[in-house]
Amino acid sequence: MKLPRLSTRTLVLLSLLVLLAAALLLSGCGTSDLPQNTFAAEGEVARKQRDILIYWVLGPAAIIFIVVEGLIVYAMIRYRRKSDDEVPTQVHGNTRMELAWTIAPAILLLVLAVPVVEGIADLGRSPRADALHIRVTGLQWRWQFEYMDPEYANADGEPLRVFDEVHIPTKREIGLEILSADVLHSFWVPRLAGKQDAIAGSTRHMWLNADRPGSYSGQCAEFCGLQHADMRLTMVAQEENEFEEWIQGELADDAGSGPGDSADGPANGPEDGPANGPGAPAEGSNGE
Amino acid sequence: MAGVVTRPRPTSILEALRGVRQQAESYQGIWSWIATVDHKRIGMMYGVTAFCFFLLGGVEALLIRLQLTTANGQVLDPDQYNRIFTMHGTTMIFLVVMPLSAAFFNLLVPLMIGARDVAFPRLNAFSYWVFLGGGLLMNASFFTGGNIFQGELGAPDGGWFGYAPLTLNRFSAGEGIDYWAMGLQILGIASMASGFNFVVTILNMRAPGMTLLRMPLFIWMTLATSLLIIFAMPIIAVALFELLFDRLFEANYFNTLVGGRPLLWQHMFWLFGHPEVYILILPAMGIVSEVLPTFSRKPLFGYPFVVFSGIAIAFMSWGVWAHHMYTTGLGTVANSAFGVSTILIAVPTGVKIFNWLGTIWGGSIRLVTPFMFSMGFITMFIIGGLTGVMHSIVPSDYQQQDTYFVVAHFHQVLMGGAIFALFSGIYYWFPKFSGKFLNEKLGQLHFWLMFIGFNLTFQPMMVLGLLGMPRRIYTYEEGLGWEVLNMIATAGAFFIATSVLVFIINVVVSVRSKERAGADPWDGRTLEWSVPSPPPPYDFEEIPEVHTRDEFWHRKYVEDETGRMVPIVAGGALQEEEHEEEHQHIHMPSPSYFPIIAAMGLPLIAAGLIYWEWINMLPLIAVGAAMVVVGIYGWALEPEAE
Repeated sequence: MKLPRLSTRTLVLLSLLVLLAAALLLSGCGTSDLPQNTFAAEGEVARKQRDILIYWVLGPAAIIFIVVEGLIVYAMIRYRRKSDDEVPTQVHGNTRMELAWTIAPAILLLVLAVPVVEGIADLGRSPRADALHIRVTGLQWRWQFEYMDPEYANADGEPLRVFDEVHIPTKREIGLEILSADVLHSFWVPRLAGKQDAIAGSTRHMWLNADRPGSYSGQCAEFCGLQHADMRLTMVAQEENEFEEWIQGELADDAGSGPGDSADGPANGPEDGPANGPGAPAEGSNGE
Repeated sequence: MAGVVTRPRPTSILEALRGVRQQAESYQGIWSWIATVDHKRIGMMYGVTAFCFFLLGGVEALLIRLQLTTANGQVLDPDQYNRIFTMHGTTMIFLVVMPLSAAFFNLLVPLMIGARDVAFPRLNAFSYWVFLGGGLLMNASFFTGGNIFQGELGAPDGGWFGYAPLTLNRFSAGEGIDYWAMGLQILGIASMASGFNFVVTILNMRAPGMTLLRMPLFIWMTLATSLLIIFAMPIIAVALFELLFDRLFEANYFNTLVGGRPLLWQHMFWLFGHPEVYILILPAMGIVSEVLPTFSRKPLFGYPFVVFSGIAIAFMSWGVWAHHMYTTGLGTVANSAFGVSTILIAVPTGVKIFNWLGTIWGGSIRLVTPFMFSMGFITMFIIGGLTGVMHSIVPSDYQQQDTYFVVAHFHQVLMGGAIFALFSGIYYWFPKFSGKFLNEKLGQLHFWLMFIGFNLTFQPMMVLGLLGMPRRIYTYEEGLGWEVLNMIATAGAFFIATSVLVFIINVVVSVRSKERAGADPWDGRTLEWSVPSPPPPYDFEEIPEVHTRDEFWHRKYVEDETGRMVPIVAGGALQEEEHEEEHQHIHMPSPSYFPIIAAMGLPLIAAGLIYWEWINMLPLIAVGAAMVVVGIYGWALEPEAE
């Protein structure tokens, strides 16, 4: 069988293709105005989550890929078989090189572990005492938000409840209590913060804030059945005074509509649903 | 066991059995396949069956891609979409990559270690039939949803990960999840049986002189994979029993209404699931570690380091499962621990890649199809590895979790990695088992179409994930900036589909061609190339004696005075078919139909249990159980052939 020809040009083309893919990756994320672009962070949490990737990982990863892949493509071109009876020197290994390429990456990776652990601790802290408290309940296939601070209770002393669109003040920390009324869901507003799963039977906590007023879209990120794709939400960040105005208007509306009014209620209320608020959480945030 | 002759006990039932047995020796055509215990035939059956499932899973993938091509796609409704993506994942993992790896274990292990068959040939046949039964049972679920021709599908709809409580009756009515759980349970039995078989084979049946550190790397990776299977499968088995008890008998393991714990499922699933990832990738690494030395004409660089990095990966795979669960709220300490363990698993993976580079460096490289697929594997696997490190960056993973970034990452590893390596293995060993080459031109076309298609499909998904596209959504709105990239991904998927068609054409063309591949068409290094292509049923006329790693290479080449390797004139192999008559004395295990009887009882029991509330299905359980009992007893008592 004759040796097939694979021209140098093909191999160069191949490497260009791969680099093009990488360029596509980065340029795609640079387009900042897309509604769910995780790189277009508009809050402290999302910014930290993005920056650790940009400053610690993407650069080194790109360099490692280009160097290793470059060496591979070089070797494929440089060491092609020229005649059928050539037999190269039978090299079995080199202990020094082995140690080098075991220890060097290990050190590099352990350095990387420092910002990781730091970031986990930073994001994992409890919300500040002065935070605005909202209880988020995922249910098939809607999001229910309840303003838990006493000042936003309605006439019956119950928290103000809204669905799928929630308003928050800017520049103030928001403490979220996350629950599920049925299956698992995951609360996610990409431009403000990464996910927190909603676990049926327990409560989880997270915090976030928004730098600027705006409407930030998000959606359920844990597969939750038939209409998982439609379980979307919007987080509207407003200046403090506009937020107050909005919430007072909602409270007034709430008082206007009778308690039996279910127009705002969940479309698919499960039997253990949140109509009267989710059952008492079984355990604390790290209960598992 | 092969090679042992025992005298049958003289009872009348056994006399009768022996009569049937003697007949079995002369079975022709399909019956000779059904009763076969020959590791090569079982390997081929594994391969062909897994490839059929690959086509099925591929069609499912194309349907998913068609649905997502544009915003608000109308190809599938949400119900169909959920069932199809569930079956796509389950099929590709359990019915394609695992059994394709098993095909290579079966075909190669005895030949590479200088044995005539595996330790338990009938158990080997049993594994295959159980796998087939489990796969068919699971796919039979498609027909349980009503009229399938009107698009009423009945397949499972809980995702391949089957997170409770979505998989409980309350949220997933119908029998899809039952079929899924029972199917996986049965497939687990097949994997366990073959896992034990290969551990025993590798430890006990190596040719004289083949010490552990003289084993080909593929054998090492088979051993590591088999051990992972033995320890990982029981975990998913327990989890599946719990789920089935919840679904069938109203138990409350995961029922949150009465205090059941959904995260229990996740911990058990991923404690199985992460070793499973390495069950899928270690055989691929083994294949690449055989292909590169042959086509570079150099031994594997740093053999002991590649061996021990493989073992290190296998060990460490037990300590990283919760990186699938960062967003469940495990707490700071657990997330940190699993973050760091996940970071560190990159070290042995990197060692392997550097050693592969060391292997081709300074070699004499032949850029034929099997080599190209191996290089495709390494390239894609580097990206898969680097994106894997990105997932260990826990704060960033809170964003990436459950997005298309993750989809891109694991396809990079499992398709760009495992599937490319498996195709590399197919092109490499096809001549050994068929006696024919796969056509090189079509092979190159296959490789390039698949490589380009792969990158077109999955690199845009990385961006989609960072742009906030979650997984498992059947549709998306306009204006999120996802349309163009999704369209590219769909186009790429059709490149891949075309490349698979080219492969099928290649197999047909090549099998029909008259060009014969000799015993050693690639200038191979390991023992399988020392026997004729295709190998005779007994593999080795004489059990070889092994003196060194790359034994066969050293029979062909010696060092001359200057230290250069020169071929020995009239090399050590190729004394094929010299004295055909003298092989009659080689005793090989006889064919047996008991493995298939025992194996086919299992899906019947499973089907009976799924419908146990209909009283008339209970006999099905009895019939299935009887088949298992009869099969196992017949198997145990069956006399050896004289």
